[in-house]
Amino acid sequence: MMISRYRPLVLLSLLVAGCATQAPAPVDERIAAEQVRAPAASEARGLQVFALRNPAVAELSQAALQAEQDGDLGRAAMLLERALRIEPRDPELLQQMAEVRLDQGQWEQAEGLARRSFDVGPRVGELCQRNWRTISVSLERRQNPQAAGEASQRLQACQVEAPPRL
Amino acid sequence: MPRARPPSKKPRWSLRRFLWLLALFALGLGLGLAGPWIGWLDREAGQRFGDRQWTQASRVYARPLELYPGLAMSAQRLERELEAIGLSAGDPASVGRYRRQGDGLEAHVPGFVFGDGRQAAQRVRVRFSGSAIAGLETATETETALVRLPPAELGSLLPLDDRDRTLVALAEFPPLLVTGIQAVEDRQFAHHHGVDPRGLLRAAWTNLRRGEVVQGGSTITQQLVKNLFLTPERSLLRKLNEAVMAISLERRFSKADILEAYLNEVYLGQDGGRAIHGFGRAAEHYFGLPVQALGVEQIALLVGMVRGASWYHPRRNPERARERRDRVIDMFYETGLIDEGAWRRARASGLGLGLPSRNGARRHDGFLDLVARQLRRDYRDSDLRGTGLRIFTTLDPVAQQEAERALAEGLTELERSSAELQGAVVLVEPTSGEIRALVGDRAPGRFGFNRALDARRPVGSVIKPFIYLLALAQPDRWHLASTLVDAPLSVAVAGQAPWRPDNIDQVSHGEVALMDALARSFNQATVALGREVGLPALFGLLEQLGVARPEQAHPSAFLGAIELTPLQVAQLYQPLAAEGYSTPLRAINQVLDREGNEIGRYDRRLRPVREREALALLDFALRHAVTDGTGRSLSWRLPEDPGVRGKTGTSNDRRDAWFVGYTDDWLGVVWTGRDDNAPAGVSGSATALPVWAELFSRLPLRTVRRNWPEGLEWFWIDWPSPQLAAENCPDARAIPFVAGSQPTARSPCLDPLPDESRRWFRRR
Repeated sequence: MMISRYRPLVLLSLLVAGCATQAPAPVDERIAAEQVRAPAASEARGLQVFALRNPAVAELSQAALQAEQDGDLGRAAMLLERALRIEPRDPELLQQMAEVRLDQGQWEQAEGLARRSFDVGPRVGELCQRNWRTISVSLERRQNPQAAGEASQRLQACQVEAPPRL
Repeated sequence: MPRARPPSKKPRWSLRRFLWLLALFALGLGLGLAGPWIGWLDREAGQRFGDRQWTQASRVYARPLELYPGLAMSAQRLERELEAIGLSAGDPASVGRYRRQGDGLEAHVPGFVFGDGRQAAQRVRVRFSGSAIAGLETATETETALVRLPPAELGSLLPLDDRDRTLVALAEFPPLLVTGIQAVEDRQFAHHHGVDPRGLLRAAWTNLRRGEVVQGGSTITQQLVKNLFLTPERSLLRKLNEAVMAISLERRFSKADILEAYLNEVYLGQDGGRAIHGFGRAAEHYFGLPVQALGVEQIALLVGMVRGASWYHPRRNPERARERRDRVIDMFYETGLIDEGAWRRARASGLGLGLPSRNGARRHDGFLDLVARQLRRDYRDSDLRGTGLRIFTTLDPVAQQEAERALAEGLTELERSSAELQGAVVLVEPTSGEIRALVGDRAPGRFGFNRALDARRPVGSVIKPFIYLLALAQPDRWHLASTLVDAPLSVAVAGQAPWRPDNIDQVSHGEVALMDALARSFNQATVALGREVGLPALFGLLEQLGVARPEQAHPSAFLGAIELTPLQVAQLYQPLAAEGYSTPLRAINQVLDREGNEIGRYDRRLRPVREREALALLDFALRHAVTDGTGRSLSWRLPEDPGVRGKTGTSNDRRDAWFVGYTDDWLGVVWTGRDDNAPAGVSGSATALPVWAELFSRLPLRTVRRNWPEGLEWFWIDWPSPQLAAENCPDARAIPFVAGSQPTARSPCLDPLPDESRRWFRRR
């Protein structure tokens, strides 16, 4: 494993910010990057929640991200599956898997995973944005524009102003 | 008997054989290399060797264990995991050994080829803190976040013949095995052309001098030809065929091809009814290790067995095997393959056999049965047979042992009378649907009728939560605090006498809150509710959750007069345990072909159930059933309650007893009853629940904080009829509601003294 100098104290999931602003992945399937992550990152305002991550999960998730950028979606999914076996309720992982499914064209799975991520996640901030963008795109692709529109409506609710610091 | 060469029988006969052979060989060379018969043999050997297809049984593996800091895993449990994958206690300097030291454990785990590539053997140091892993260290990294252990092998499936083999490429064999086999069996292998006249002469001379056969004159190529193409009978004609074909192979194929085939083909003993061919399988069978991980003495033992696998069998004839092995170690030393230190160490070591045959143990047959069924559902049989698939399953070998034990011991404890109780257990990881353990018989290792998959039995009250789910999915009509009436009722049934359900204690309880009616499993209140939601709705829900619609539509279905298998019950409860996301239960994660290419993968598939809010309410009620209802006894059976939710079930005349319970990590279904369906005196809480509790008390459990779905709100409620109250009101309970569905009436506790209550609040 190449990424293992990971320290257990990491708070921010760097990968989210990292991948959202990097050059596009060298693959054709860039739905997740272009229609989910980039807009979610650019519109991320207000309260953000970053959970402490299990270092083992962080390592697998990082490797999955690399696989995704290398265009090996199958490998990415397999690594995420391993990570989900360790932390089945990690909202970041579930969303990452949802985005891989989106790139693979598995719309229904993408939606299920994104909804699950929302349920167990912070329900605010950037992750929330990615959740609803994924749901919206996957509904759109399944010719359900009305439900897709409703999902897009949910984006606004993801922006909660951070409580003033005391 | 493919290869038995007891060395000291019929000396005179064998001597004659060698002389004959010499004469004939000379004659054959002299007379007829160009003869049509020899030409035919030659073509035949070449073609058959070129076209040969090794058949391999498909191997089934448990889920690989991932170790990481924070994992709930005691040192004892890890030891059991390591033993399940074939390691044994010893010096971790050698592959396949582990050692406990203080609050740590060091293991040298063998390499393994996973679907995502080869993982080399590695030494791992594990530190524990309490019953969790505190840190991991490998040879290359001082703090490692993640170590994946190789999976335990559960058994094999779908063989084409009775030969068991694990194919290994020549480059993958340990060098000492490749050179050692030549030193012992055929020192001229690198130089001869299939037959070795000098070796033959030398063997004949030695044998003549000693008056018995001490050396065989067959080359490795001849032995291979004999194993591959010829019958074991000893005749002149066969010996000549063998020589011609050996020369033919040498002419057409490289030494490497021939040696590789030989190392994979040579007969090395029996595993029950199956013949072990090749060093790859032999290493796994005798030592529980991949061939790459064998030490000098282990290689020597196997090389020595080539001469007579049953004669030198290390389990049946350990003395003889040891003697032969030491002789082989000497030959390794004499020919310079090992140095003196290695020679000394190898001679001093014991036979070092691993666990007895894993195929023979038949431990996991119930689960393998399910694996085979899922494979047959998804592939054509002809695509699977003999093709050497590697099937990665979801089984947790230690949890499987615990499940077997909990059932066996639980039933023995319960059997005061002569009742012949049977049972089944299904254990699932709910969010992924992965089946972690499956027990289909109370006797571990006995295999026949697989009750977990095939026993269709009435589920009793286990069905009730689904009626309540349908009600709670209509928040404008019902909530957890709604009043139900538990009173005698008569249900008209077309063409039959009206049906008059009774409660198990023969008492009607009058007005009860919906959540209490479920927790205490009141039959009359449930039937009354069931008639409101309707039988078609219930059957539709079962179908939606993946269980076929029952044929008959008698209202007794509301009380569980529906026959389901334990596995189906687990499927029904999976979305409840997974917070409203349904996924098909599965036993297989990945299927690889023999080259390691993926031919199938079964990922988690999450489908949000529409009634997710209602499910969360139901989850709350099933927790209530465990703390205050029919599952109460769990509180003293489980030392630490990780927030179990569950439901008991008992069928008519106490024929079947069920308990279904789940935590955040596990969903367990236990059924007990008799095979002949006779009244068994069992009940969900007295028979099935203890087995479940025994199993769960031995599983690593963690409590996860649950996120309630968006549209839920909590209110304090008090009674006689449900009304909004506050925390300080006597007997008030905090209950979740779908927002807006909560009662509007206000408790007298709130209104008369608002100031008082506010002051009370401030004082806290």
